[in-house]
Amino acid sequence: MKDNRWGLPDLGLGVGLRTTHFSHILSNRPDIGFFEILTENYLDTGGRPLYVVDQVAEQYPIVMHGVSMSIGSTDPLDREYIKKVKGLAERTGALWVSDHICWTGVLGRNTHDLLPLPYTEQVLRHTVERIRAVQDILQRPLVLENPSTYLEFGSSEMPEWEFVARLAEDADCGLLFDVNNVYVSAFNHGYDPRVYIDAIPADRVCQYHLAGHTNKGTHIIDTHSDHVIDPVWELFGHTLRHVGLRATLLEWDADIPPFEVVHAEVLKAAVWRNVEVAHAA
Amino acid sequence: MPRDQDTVNPDVERIQRWMQAVIVNPGDVEQAIRSPEATSEIPAESLGEVVTPSHSMTSAERVDVYHGMYLLRMVEALEYDYPTLKHYLGQESFEELVREYVQVHPSRSYTLNRLGDHLPEYLETRHDWADSGFLADLARFELAITEVFDEAESPVLTAEELQSVPTEAWESARLKPIAAFRLLELKHAVVPHLKAYHGDQPSPRPRRRNTWVAIYRRDFSPLYLELTRAEHDLLRALVEGTSLAESLAAAAVKVRSSQRQEKIFRWFRTWVAEGLFSAVET
Repeated sequence: MKDNRWGLPDLGLGVGLRTTHFSHILSNRPDIGFFEILTENYLDTGGRPLYVVDQVAEQYPIVMHGVSMSIGSTDPLDREYIKKVKGLAERTGALWVSDHICWTGVLGRNTHDLLPLPYTEQVLRHTVERIRAVQDILQRPLVLENPSTYLEFGSSEMPEWEFVARLAEDADCGLLFDVNNVYVSAFNHGYDPRVYIDAIPADRVCQYHLAGHTNKGTHIIDTHSDHVIDPVWELFGHTLRHVGLRATLLEWDADIPPFEVVHAEVLKAAVWRNVEVAHAA
Repeated sequence: MPRDQDTVNPDVERIQRWMQAVIVNPGDVEQAIRSPEATSEIPAESLGEVVTPSHSMTSAERVDVYHGMYLLRMVEALEYDYPTLKHYLGQESFEELVREYVQVHPSRSYTLNRLGDHLPEYLETRHDWADSGFLADLARFELAITEVFDEAESPVLTAEELQSVPTEAWESARLKPIAAFRLLELKHAVVPHLKAYHGDQPSPRPRRRNTWVAIYRRDFSPLYLELTRAEHDLLRALVEGTSLAESLAAAAVKVRSSQRQEKIFRWFRTWVAEGLFSAVET
């Protein structure tokens, strides 16, 4: 079975830790592979969220997923923020720290959106340099997720999959491969998602994301508000064949149903993982 | 407008400044693309070259996906922190408030949790709104709730610990409040609005009334305690580090009652039971 180059474990199936499920998780101790926490929700609080995450971290593997590193921004890196991220990773024993291939703001502002980058040689060099600087502070590989995007820049010099693959190789970082995001971006930009998947360096992938989305007809928005649709599951199967088994997480962030529903949704991934195991055998 | 190579094929710094200017613009996407902030980076006429159209959307429509989501995200963050304010204003007016507020106080943090920190002071400056003073008071109350929610956990002083302080130490003893504690002095009645929100009832009309309130956290839940002025003044003195003897002497002057001592004792019993203090320093 193919593995990632850092030997980071396949944690099985996990879900995002969300406030609305805190009580259920602490009371019922569900049988689940791991939890992913939203980094920024735990950096500046000494209240219930931190108490809960400490409890959860004692019983489950934790991975961290951030939205504000703004790795592709032309603003200076926020080193204080990155140090806080490192501190939280140490506190929770997070197995890895991830964020997104995007920028979130410039001129000192934060739009709190995962904004797309022009895929140029200049942006590639700039982002690689920043990833290396972050990794120097974190003292571990940074894991970056391919984003959902809703526009493309005329100045782009390469397709997104080439940018992502070269970024990971040149910066020596990990990838969090979001299968739904590939589906969303492929629909929005009119390309074949399988071409994207086949271009990803398998040994750099540390984790998968799966999620539901909202199809607006002319475009798809990555809303994390629904079940995973069948074409995304099929792409997940294709990804498993190309990359191999990795920790697989379901994101559900809007109209969040009871924990059992979210848990049941990620358990569907077991079917696809079993097919891959049988195929590999 | 003449177009040089920089604006037809702009570098990433320019693209990012332009895109942010468009996204955060309070107008519609066409106004945003033609705004001075955006056109100083990239002329509106270059849009089709900077952002390519898709098989189903124009360049402007693609930019509008991001433009539309910005305000929604800001509204979502602030309605989470200011639910009573939103209940009073209603969806439309609240969104309008957020649209204007984030123009003056945009997020400059990695977290949205502190986006609303300037809302009370912003509301105070809106003299064009008849009820701005009331809105600012309501926002102060809800901001204190969010602060208390996120404060560090403190040890809580028990009644037994307090009683174990030797009599001779009382003169100079000081009570230290828990970190998750705020004391507010407001000019409007805000508690009826809180009750209306939690009871899913219409908000009452704003009413001027001096209001003193302690906001604190117990078992990780933010709570509040309405106070009289005398209670507030005593608590204020204590949390500001005035010695117990001095604080009590000042309170004794203000409490006009034959049962003054019992009354103050009752206050202390409530405050300690509610866990407002973390330690007694002798």
